[in-house]
Amino acid sequence: MNVGNSFAIAVKDMREVFTSISIAGPMLGVPLFFALFLPLLTFYVSEHAAPALASKIFSIALPVAISSSKSLNSASFMGFFSIYVLGPIFLTMPILTASVIAADSFIGEKERKTAEALFSTPVKNSELLLGKIMASLIPTILLTLGVFALYGVITNLLSYSSFGVYLLPTVPWLLLLFISPFLAVVTIGVVVIVSSHVRGTKEAQQISTLLVLPILILPFASITGFAMLTTRLLLYIALFLAIADIAVVYISVKTFNKESII
Amino acid sequence: MKFLTASLRMVMGIIEIKNLVKRFGKVIAVDNASASFGKGISIITGPNGAGKSTLLRCIDGLYKPNSGKVQVDGADPYMDESSRRTMSLLTDNYALYDNLTVMQNLEFFGRLYKIPRQEITRRATRLLRSLDAAQFSEAKVYTLSRGTKQKVAFCRALLCNPRILLLDEPTAFLDPKASTEVRKLIEGMASEGRTIIFVTQKVDEIPRFNARLIFLKNGRIVKDTTTYAFYRSMANGAIVEVRLASPIGGKVASSTPGFIRGNSPNPTSISVKIHSYRDINRAVAHLLKSGAYIVGIDYTESVVEKFS
Repeated sequence: MNVGNSFAIAVKDMREVFTSISIAGPMLGVPLFFALFLPLLTFYVSEHAAPALASKIFSIALPVAISSSKSLNSASFMGFFSIYVLGPIFLTMPILTASVIAADSFIGEKERKTAEALFSTPVKNSELLLGKIMASLIPTILLTLGVFALYGVITNLLSYSSFGVYLLPTVPWLLLLFISPFLAVVTIGVVVIVSSHVRGTKEAQQISTLLVLPILILPFASITGFAMLTTRLLLYIALFLAIADIAVVYISVKTFNKESII
Repeated sequence: MKFLTASLRMVMGIIEIKNLVKRFGKVIAVDNASASFGKGISIITGPNGAGKSTLLRCIDGLYKPNSGKVQVDGADPYMDESSRRTMSLLTDNYALYDNLTVMQNLEFFGRLYKIPRQEITRRATRLLRSLDAAQFSEAKVYTLSRGTKQKVAFCRALLCNPRILLLDEPTAFLDPKASTEVRKLIEGMASEGRTIIFVTQKVDEIPRFNARLIFLKNGRIVKDTTTYAFYRSMANGAIVEVRLASPIGGKVASSTPGFIRGNSPNPTSISVKIHSYRDINRAVAHLLKSGAYIVGIDYTESVVEKFS
């Protein structure tokens, strides 16, 4: 296998995605908006409604001694909300980003009728798949890292300025970040699998974004106390996703049919 | 051993198709086609849906045959991508990346053929210049006209200096000057001993080549001939259109041997029925003698009739 070919394909795909405002705009804009707006919202709620909310949530969710200090309650609330509620929301980003890029990378070639020219070169299927996976995975990881970092910095700035504590990073927070690439790989694999059966990028995106549904259960599970995102649970999730990655990538390699993309 | 293999190829041809069948669902696109292609130009023509493009894609290894086989230099192009190192396909759509510049497109494809970067630039510049498209090298593809995109696509197909060139409607959307340039390039490559398979529906294009001619109909090869043999056989009972520089008198027109009709009472174009090329000469001689100036003789209608 010639990794140089895969790299050339990855660079070409990334160039295409990031020079198209209609694709890159929403893909970059929404996460950036999340990273900037959600810490501000969390901070506002923590400052103004935390004591009342914290007593309700923590009595169910966390075995935390509720302090009479307003600022400690606010800080605890902000920490809880930032990690256990918004953390999983941020996990939807690698899924959404990867699904947009992967759909454009695989099915976009079919839509724009460029697949024939690409497949008529001496590129091997394995090189092609690796290139396309790299094109989807690298920007997703970088974007997720950037957004997590931005979110962490803003949250810390706000919490330190008001409560005198840095809330991030924590082990669960870092584990959420650790899980992100696994989610991206599953998403890309799903796009490859469905690429033979769909006619357009939108169909593929819609199918792959169904993967966000299980993620969206996590904040509710934390709030209701059904399942806290403990280190152990997150490690189990990472292990499960790693196995799912292997299975999905294996199936996608086996079922990838370039003829159906032409 | 090498000598034997080379000799066998000379006998067998560079591209071998045997009982090839390609289906899409219930539609049979290529039906039990067998042919052998060696050096030089082979034109494949036929009506819409005849299976011309599918046949080309099977040769390039893009489609897996349902049965039968395709071999390029003894290898199955579907299974062995290395056979595409010296084979290039120009698709019927331009198939370029719209958000990249012309040069970025060519660099990308060049890299996949393992051509060094400097060499890609050198070849791309030369090819773009030859088709009068060098000024667009830094333009994004979506800003180009359809004809310019086709020129760039043609450059992409030639970039790897292919020994086997598969062309699907290479002159589509091109202006007459560019079409002539493309034909010159094709003929030049054929004279260098390359294998060129050229799919076209433009019947006026066929007689411009001295080439092998294959007719496909409903996925089957119905005729395997040469362009000159075909036009000779076509002459019997054909109706040709003689186009004139200026109107001629009705009497001059109607007294032309084989006259059928004119496009007006004082026609600038007349239809003449012929049985051999000699009849064309007779009609032309009559018209010249009457002071007419002939600007062209069109066989298209007859060829179209043969197609359907």
